[in-house]
Parts: sequence; C-alpha cells; structure tokens
Amino acid sequence: MSYLPRKLLQVLGSIFAVATFNFFLFHIIPGDPIRLIARTQKLDPEAVAELRKKFGLDGSIIHQYLVYLKNLAHADLGYSFSLHEGVGSVLLRALGHTALLLTVSTLIVVIIGIAIGVYAGSRQGKKSDSWIVISSLVFWSMPTFWVGMLLVFVFGVWWGGLPISGITTPNAVYSGSLSYMMDIARHLILPTLTLALVDIAFFIMITRTSLIEVMHEDYMLTARGKGLSRKTVVWKHGVRNALLPVMTASALYISALVGGAIQVEVVYSWPGMGLLMYNSVLARDYPVLEACFLVSSIVVLLANFASDVLYRVLDPRVSVAR
Amino acid sequence: MSSPQVLHIPPVKRSMLAQLWNDRMGRVGLLLTTFTLIAAVIGPIIFVFDSGAVGADATTLLMPPTRTHILGTDELGRDVFSQFLSGSRVSLLVGLMATVISTIIGAGVGIAAGFFTGKLDTVLMAVTDFFLVVPAMPLMIAMGAIFGQNLTIIIVIIGLLSWPRTARIVRSQTLSLRERKFVPRARSLGSTNWRIIKVHMIPHVLPLLIANTILVVAGAILSEATLAFIGLGDPNRISWGSMLHFAFASGAVGRGAWWYFMPPGLGILLIVLAFTLVGHAFDKINNPHLGGSS
Amino acid sequence: MNLLDVRNLCVRYGSEQTGVLAVDTVDLRIGQGEFVGLAGESGCGKTTLAMAIPNLLPEGATVVSGSVTFDGQDITHASEETLNSIRWKEISVIFQGALNALNPVKSVGWQIAEPMLAHDSGLSDKDALARARELLDAVGISKSRSSAYPHEFSGGMRQRVMIAMALACKPKLVIADEPITALDVMTQAQILDLLRSLSSSFDLSLLLISHDLSVLADTCDRVQVMYAGKAVESGSAETIFASADSSESAAHPYTNRLLKSYPNILHERVFIDGIPGYPPDLSLPQTGCRFAARCDQVQSVCRTQEPALIELHTNHFVACHFAEQVSR
Repeated sequence: MSYLPRKLLQVLGSIFAVATFNFFLFHIIPGDPIRLIARTQKLDPEAVAELRKKFGLDGSIIHQYLVYLKNLAHADLGYSFSLHEGVGSVLLRALGHTALLLTVSTLIVVIIGIAIGVYAGSRQGKKSDSWIVISSLVFWSMPTFWVGMLLVFVFGVWWGGLPISGITTPNAVYSGSLSYMMDIARHLILPTLTLALVDIAFFIMITRTSLIEVMHEDYMLTARGKGLSRKTVVWKHGVRNALLPVMTASALYISALVGGAIQVEVVYSWPGMGLLMYNSVLARDYPVLEACFLVSSIVVLLANFASDVLYRVLDPRVSVAR
Repeated sequence: MSSPQVLHIPPVKRSMLAQLWNDRMGRVGLLLTTFTLIAAVIGPIIFVFDSGAVGADATTLLMPPTRTHILGTDELGRDVFSQFLSGSRVSLLVGLMATVISTIIGAGVGIAAGFFTGKLDTVLMAVTDFFLVVPAMPLMIAMGAIFGQNLTIIIVIIGLLSWPRTARIVRSQTLSLRERKFVPRARSLGSTNWRIIKVHMIPHVLPLLIANTILVVAGAILSEATLAFIGLGDPNRISWGSMLHFAFASGAVGRGAWWYFMPPGLGILLIVLAFTLVGHAFDKINNPHLGGSS
Repeated sequence: MNLLDVRNLCVRYGSEQTGVLAVDTVDLRIGQGEFVGLAGESGCGKTTLAMAIPNLLPEGATVVSGSVTFDGQDITHASEETLNSIRWKEISVIFQGALNALNPVKSVGWQIAEPMLAHDSGLSDKDALARARELLDAVGISKSRSSAYPHEFSGGMRQRVMIAMALACKPKLVIADEPITALDVMTQAQILDLLRSLSSSFDLSLLLISHDLSVLADTCDRVQVMYAGKAVESGSAETIFASADSSESAAHPYTNRLLKSYPNILHERVFIDGIPGYPPDLSLPQTGCRFAARCDQVQSVCRTQEPALIELHTNHFVACHFAEQVSR
C-alpha cells in the first residue's frame, strides 16, 4: 500500500484504540458510568433510567461498547451536569480558544527556538553556546504553571500593565472588530509568553543537538570547500538537514504542548480545553473530562500525522507518494 | 536522529561518577541533588510542620516573613518554611517511586522487544507508540479524577504513563547489541536467553538507561507538581505542587505574597534542574560528540 | 614557477603538549598541468597534507610551521575571506566517499551550480544550472537528471557528480582524495579514466591521493610516498614504477613494499604481499627512521639516526640511509 492511505489507516486505527481505551477508563473500570456521575450529582430516578438507556447498561459489555461507539459516531459526547449543556457544544467553544493560543505560541516557539538553537549549535563550545544551553535547561526545569504565576505577579500585579485573566476585557465596548481583536491580542501576550519561555528551551536543545550532529557530516566539509561563507554553510546546508530530526522530535513535543496549555489556561483563566478540564476536575464532571481526553488525543494524533506528512515533503529521500 | 540513535558504549564503570564530577554541569547537578536530598531527609525533623497550627486571627494569615516565620505564613496562617521542607519529601518520593515503576516497565518492554523481536516486538512497540503519542497530561488528569487522590495512586499513574521513551531507547540499544558477535557466540556455547540478557544485554544497556532514568525523575517531579496544582494532589500530604495549588487558589499571587509562591516553585526548579543537569552530563559522557563547554 | 609549492609543512592535531604531528616537515610541489600522486597507508598524513592546502583542516588541527604558496601567493595564514575566494574557484576537492560528501536534500544540479553562483555574482541562476547540466553531460550523466537527488544515483554515478562539481569553476588544481576507494573494480577503472581525460581537457593540475600505488601508476606524472607523517620518497612515475633492474627505480624499502602490496597493473604482476606490523604511534617521541620497526633491511643506524631526504638522482628524493643499496 502506498504511504498516504497506509498512514491514514494507521491514524484511524489509533483513534479507534484511543476510543476503546477511553471506554475502558471511564465506563468499565469505575463500575459503570452512572456510578461515576452519581458520585457528585444527585440524580432523580428518571434521569438514571434515561442514562441507563443511553449507555445501554442493560446489555452486555460488548453491547455497551457498541452503544458507546454509536454515540461517538453521532458526535454525541454526553451531557455536562455542572454546565447544564451538551458536552459537544461546550467543547467546540473551548477548542477554538485553545487552538488560537496554541497556534500563536507554537509559531513563536518554533521560529525563535530554531533560530537560537542554530546560533548555539554553530558555536558549539563557545561561551554564548554554554550560556544558551544552561538557560535552556533552567527554563525547561520550571513548571509551566509556576512561570505563569510569576508573570502574573510581575506583569499583572507589580507592573499592572497587562491583562492576566480571560480572553477579553469584561464588559468592554468595542468600536469595531479591530479593537476587539486588539483586546484579544493583549490578553494573549502573557499566556503565550509563559508557554514560549518553557517550550522554546525544548526547541533550542533539539535544534542545537541536531545541528551539531550535522556539522560533522562530510557534505558540510564539501560546502566549506566550495568557498561559501560560514553563514551560507550553516543555514543552506546545515539547517536544512538539521531540521529533519527536529521535525521528528516535534511530534513528541505536540503532546507536551497540550500539557503546557492546560496549565497556562488554568493560570490565566483562558476559556479553552485546559480550563474546562480544570473546572471539570473540581466539579468532578466526568462526561466533560472524558470528552476532553478523547478530543485532545485525537487532535494530537492528527497533528502527529500532519508532521509526518510534512517530514516526507521536506526529505527527498522519502516520498509522500510511496 | 530520524531513526533512534544507537550508541556503542562500554558497560558502566565506577569511573562514570568521576567523569560526571569532571563535567561542570554534572558536578553542579550532583551537588544540588545531594543538597536537596539531605534537606528533604533532615529538614522536616528539625522544623516540624504542623498542618493544624492555623493562625489565631486575620493578621496572621498570609503574613510576610518574620523572625518566627522566616518564610511568612500561608492563607491559613501556617508556617511556610516548615511546610516547604516537608513538601520536598513528597515531591521527591513521588518522583523517585514513579521512576522506579516507569524504568522497570520501560526496560522490561524494551529488552523483551529488542531481544525476542518478531511478533512480540511488533505488539509491544504498537503499545509503546500508542502511549507515546497519547497526550500524557490529559490522561493523567482523567485517571487522577477517576481513581482518586492518594499518593500511591498518583505514583502509579505517573509511573504507568512515563515509560514509553525508556522502552524505545532500551529497545534500539538491545537491537544493536543483538547484532554483535558475542550473542551468537554465547548462544552457541549453550547460554540460555535469560543468561544472555543478564550477562550481555543489561550491563551494556545500563549507561543509557541510567541517563534516561535520571531524566525521567525530573519529568515525574514536574508531573506530580502539575497534577497537584490542578487540584489532584493527595489532600493529606502537602507537596510543592499542592502548596502552589493553594497559593494560587487563595489568591496569594494577586496579593503579592511572594514568600508563599516563590519557595515551592524554586524548589521544583532546583531539583528538576539538578536531575536534568546530571542526566545531560551522562548523555554527554555516552555521546561525546555533543560535548559542550566543559 | 610551480602552481603549488608546499614547504616544510607541519600540521598538528591537538594541543602543543599532547598533540600529534600528523604532517612533519613535508614538501609538496605541483607544476602547471602536472598530475601528482600522493601515496601511503591510511593515517600516514596524506589527507591532512592535502586538506591543509585550501585550509580545510578539521577543528583541532593547526598548521604549526611551513608555508603553502599557491600561484605565487602565500596562503598559509590567509584570511577566511581570501581562502573562500580561492576555494573551488582555484582549488577544488573531490572528497572521500561521495555518498556523504553530497548534500542529501539538494538536487545534484543545484549542488554543481552553487559554487559557480558563489564565485561569479554576474551569473544568473538559469545560466549556472545550464552549465551544471553541461558538466553532468561531460561526466556521462544525462542532462535530464540534474534535478535528481544524490540517493537516486549509484556510487559510481555519485562520484561522477562529484567530479562534475569539482570542475564547476574551472579550477587550476583539483585535489582528489581516494576518489575510487569505495567503488567496484569496473567502476574504478571508468572513474579513473574520466578523471584523467577531463583533467587533461580542462588543462588543470591534479593531486591524486590513494593508498593504492597501482591507481597512481598510469595517471600521474610524479608520485610522492608518505610514511608516518614524513615524505619518504618522491620521483617521476617512470622511476617509481620502474622494474628493479632499471638504472633508476624506487629506492625506499617502504615504497618497494607498497609496490608489492597490490597487483601491479603495468607489469601485470599479481603478487600481493602485505606489510607486516603497524606504523609507529606518533604521540610518542620518534628516534631514527620511522619505518625501521617494519623494515626487512634494517641496520643499527636506522634505529638511532633519522635519515634525511636526499636527492638520489635528479628530481628523485629518498629518505633512507641505504637508498643506493636497497633491492627489492
């Protein structure tokens, strides 16, 4: 089978595996999903009966599993008892906010991280390189949420110039869509900075390591022999090759990024999936937690798929067609 | 690194500790680790934290440092310094115990997959890759919420979800060892699989495993802190993460109570950095190409 | 005047205290249009000597003393800028192992065109690529394959690409470092033929490095043999490859052992005889002749006194105490 259909099948298989795993985690291990929900919710007999029917609890485990898959296929993710709303619509709203935060911060992290990583890697062993490595390790060792708390303290409380909570200013009146967007942008600054400070370190380290390996390759000597400037040698021949392993490592990073986003959203009350998970943990709203895990897993699987395809586009030695 | 890099390195020698000491980063890491361990063991004995010793009136809540409370008090008027010391124990305990679980699973899966190859390898690696891509933090949060908040459960959850990288690294090293001459030779001399694994595989996998294990400790401490911050810590055992949870939830940041939210964060930073530095230095010893400044 | 004149060159790896002199007071001269062969076992310093010419030494290697004069200009301690204007434009290199010497993610046409564009700011991308295609044609690769990537070529084809690349800027000197080592015998002969014919038609000088003397036999005008960082013999190819009963022939025992190590193409001799033992450890101080430990004609003076490189006949230099008596 050629690459794309094979890979797509693999992704579908993984999504199926996640769904099955999810079923066991939330429906089988705790006994049954109603008992889980009933831990925190007072349910009247009528609601219980309705839920029993919905989950197919009168049937065998296999029957329950099929009912679960059918509900998923209809994008029916259940009902949130703490928000009194369908989980699907709650999630959809949150997903958009998280996507905005992740897109902006990932762009910044990747561009700056790679630039600094290349700078350090091409100066291996020099003073500037050592300082970059040490500060990267320091930032990488900080809990993301704590960096968020520090920035809230410094920029929100101490200096007080930047918004520290939410996605827009409460009760704000906007003169137009531009001022609305500017307001969101201002609210984005600190959450993005928090994610960036920790995650840039990751990209610096993997880019640096990868470039150092590439610098020892024979074709780098060829490039020097051609009389190219140092800058051309590093960027045109080194970075292009060094980025391939960085792409592979980024796939692992995607899953770490989700973890970081949850913490940042909690600290800054950014109304995305992370804050939703946090509130659901506090309210023990299991249907929402279940859906959050499922959706974030699928998003990560798809992002991995995308990075794999991109790798094949960038490396002529492997092809997307085959 | 597009394919996992296989390194040809000798078995662990006693000189590794000396090499670590000769590396500037490794030395700082070792010193920091030793210091934290000593502080975690002795500190809480000298400065006993009494979680019931709440403040008598409003003036003793979130109080800045004084002579009796050298790091001030928390939102309930309890001493932050002794709380900080006893929190170090929980953070370290979770980090180390979770790493033990993770390393046993990771090394077991990796060696089994790399040594026996074939169908077993395919199945084990499918499971490994599954856990490698599934986002760990949402899963930890979901499991924490389902299975409840106690230290043992938290340790098991973190341990169960941090082994895939170890398995991958151990597997590729085992695969490359298998190709070397001494395995067929040992087999032709009548060695059993178990003996080959014990005598030829484990000693050669160990250096990479140790470097990786040290980094897993760092990750596990961060995971515990994050879970506790989200509100899934053990309510009866205060860790640095749960201190930060209460600091955040009580609005200590907004009120500028730096003495409350700085120490636990710095504590996590220092101990994670210590393990990261040692792990990084180990990597450098295993793979001299990456050698940096020192 | 020689095109290249290397005098008393010393290259050290590592620090002054613990370093190793990989090239120890070696001369190398190459005339206009001359093909010079550089021979010796691996680790004898031949590649280091060659890479010191355009200063492409690896990190940690330094030219300690001596001079490199190219085309009348002393470039021993030239600035990186000056060197960059000479590299490839005047001196190009065919590197060992073409698989790794070509960038895996760039098309071969682009890689051949790149140095032309770097050294001629007036050249358009289109013209450079057109010339790259001409060069591919000249080395026997279809023009249509200029957009292909290195991994799509066989080992021999890659070496042809490498040769086309080396000729891109019409340099005065090409350094070919073991250009045929990793290839099969048939391809070796083809590549060698190609290298020879193109070097003549491009009117350039060639420094051909090989551990295999037979490779140099019918390609080079002159051959220089190195052992353990020292030049031990140099002379015209006729002299070095002359049969032992000729009036003038290879005079150093090491050269003679090397000649016996490989089937000799000229004399169709298939007598293969390795040299027992290993070259000396250069990190230890050397006394006497460095080949003494492996020489089958060793005398006591060889172990105590280092032989000087003397001119045995016109343009035939040998460093052996018994050069005149050595027999094969």
